[in-house]
Amino acid sequence: MKLAGGVGLAFRSISRRRLRTLLMMLGVTVGIGSLTLLNAVGEASKTESMKRFKNMIGTFDTIIIRPGAGRTRGMVSLTNVPGTLKFGDADAIEASLAGVKQVARLQNAFDIDIKYRDHADSTAVFGVSANWFELRSDDPAKGALFGEEDNRELARVAVLGADAESRLFAGEDSIGKTIRIGDVPFQVQGVLKSRGAGPGGGSLDDLILIPIETASKRLFNRDYLTMMIVQLKDADIGDASVQAITALLRDRHHLAAAALDDFTITNPRAIAAQVTKMNSTLAKTLKGVATLAMLLGGVVIMALMLIGVSERRKEIGVRRGVGASRRDVLWQFATEAMLISCAGGVLGVVLALVGMSAVARVARLPLQLNLDVLVVSLVLSIATGLFFGLYPAWKAAHVDPIAALRA
Amino acid sequence: MIQVSKVCKTYARGGDSVVHALSEISFAVHDREFIAIRGASGSGKSTLLNILGCLDVPSSGTYLLANEDVSHHSDRELSRVRAERIGFIFQSFNLLPGTTARENVELPMIYAKGRVSRKKALDLLERVGLQDRANHFASELSGGQQQRVAIARALVNDPPLILADEPTGNLDSASSAEVMEILTQLHKEGRTIVLVSHDDAVASYADREMALHDGKIRSDVRIPRKGVPQSNWEAVS
Repeated sequence: MKLAGGVGLAFRSISRRRLRTLLMMLGVTVGIGSLTLLNAVGEASKTESMKRFKNMIGTFDTIIIRPGAGRTRGMVSLTNVPGTLKFGDADAIEASLAGVKQVARLQNAFDIDIKYRDHADSTAVFGVSANWFELRSDDPAKGALFGEEDNRELARVAVLGADAESRLFAGEDSIGKTIRIGDVPFQVQGVLKSRGAGPGGGSLDDLILIPIETASKRLFNRDYLTMMIVQLKDADIGDASVQAITALLRDRHHLAAAALDDFTITNPRAIAAQVTKMNSTLAKTLKGVATLAMLLGGVVIMALMLIGVSERRKEIGVRRGVGASRRDVLWQFATEAMLISCAGGVLGVVLALVGMSAVARVARLPLQLNLDVLVVSLVLSIATGLFFGLYPAWKAAHVDPIAALRA
Repeated sequence: MIQVSKVCKTYARGGDSVVHALSEISFAVHDREFIAIRGASGSGKSTLLNILGCLDVPSSGTYLLANEDVSHHSDRELSRVRAERIGFIFQSFNLLPGTTARENVELPMIYAKGRVSRKKALDLLERVGLQDRANHFASELSGGQQQRVAIARALVNDPPLILADEPTGNLDSASSAEVMEILTQLHKEGRTIVLVSHDDAVASYADREMALHDGKIRSDVRIPRKGVPQSNWEAVS
């Protein structure tokens, strides 16, 4: 039998039994539809949280070092960390480790009183080294950022986050104006471009940045850091660098072999990978339901096809009589099953697309259907038809033509 | 055309008991012969027809069809022989429900070599006088018309052998006469026809009559050309 003839034959045969065909498609449609939709939502939320994570971290070739052995809850600040991480540690890492490109230093505190004229507010103040901006890919929306010479000269200049500016200045232009941080006057030199929301959804723009030397000597009067961000020359040497930095810092801090680290190193790339792993219980349950629907769809295909085989015994007998071999009959019935489940899969993808546009509107996630998902969906549905259609097709092929023709 | 020698067919019927449907039958049918096979039910004529039609193989003995030994053929080989060499005509017509006359005639072409030719199907329907019924469904045709469609279907792959199993059993006398006229015409054109029938009138169209009894040949006689009714084939076509 010719292949095209076989497909045409199967197509005509199933189009004569519309209701049954529709029932057979249903399970596959639901299964493929929900699997496709879930996959798209999962991918989109993964991409979205990765984006937010990257918003917060800046780049992925970095390692974060914080003082203290314990994992401090929430954001670190001068008031809640021990003073074990010194400026000299940062210099040493930068100077002696070959894989390190640069080290950004940070000293920060929350709830510092800020004043502009009679307008008072409190926000997070970050003393940062000049390379901080480069490391986080921060650019000024207006004005200018501060540089290394501002640090050397203990310059009293500040760069504002977008939210901090709008809260303090309420629409007025901030560049060149003087604000008071604590009781120290600073001149606003620039405003950062907005970074949007972090992974938790909070604003990343509600902050004030000043040179770290100024912060350390004129404002906070502290000689230790709350955070160091080490940028590597190569993102892939993260694990080795963590070990090298640990050894260096333990040596500098004169820690005995049995003592715990008095600092904490985190590798954001590893954390990001974990954060973005989609394994919520809901997603698992939904995937289970979709798989179940798929299986049920397969069983429905098998059951209805078995009924069909016994109803079509005469047809099978006639076909065999005029020259169809068992293989021809097997192929015809298997093709019918595959066509039906493939049609079910296509319908499922269409429904998933409708669902995706609804979800995209409600959840504001940028959903898209990837080509590989489409291919996998169709292959999966055809495979389901073949798997569950094979037994009925085998039954059809083994109908005794003599008995069927006499009946 | 057909050479059957020492063909046996046995069926196991539970436990040790064995039914001998055919026991050591031997006969030959020559090209262009029109043979009627007769016998009571249980005589083995259906079994013989199934073997001749390559729907079944003998338990022992050999069956040569057009000098090809088909007694040990696989399912695929038997199917090929059915598609290319044999045209079946059944008592109950066996048209596919829900398909048109033309689609029924086209059916055997799907399983044979070559393309499915709509023109050939229409030509054959014209031959059996049903050109205006080509797009009617089987259920919309009378019994005689259905059997004529079945004859067109049997001819579509141009087989040398026609096997007709009680072709008039479900037809009134007028339709029976029409069908037998067509078969007679096919015989005249050089096809070999094997006919199974109870009906004396129908069997009388043949030029040889073989009777089966209990799985054996009881008689095998040549019938002299009798006064066959004047052909109205031309009127049909």
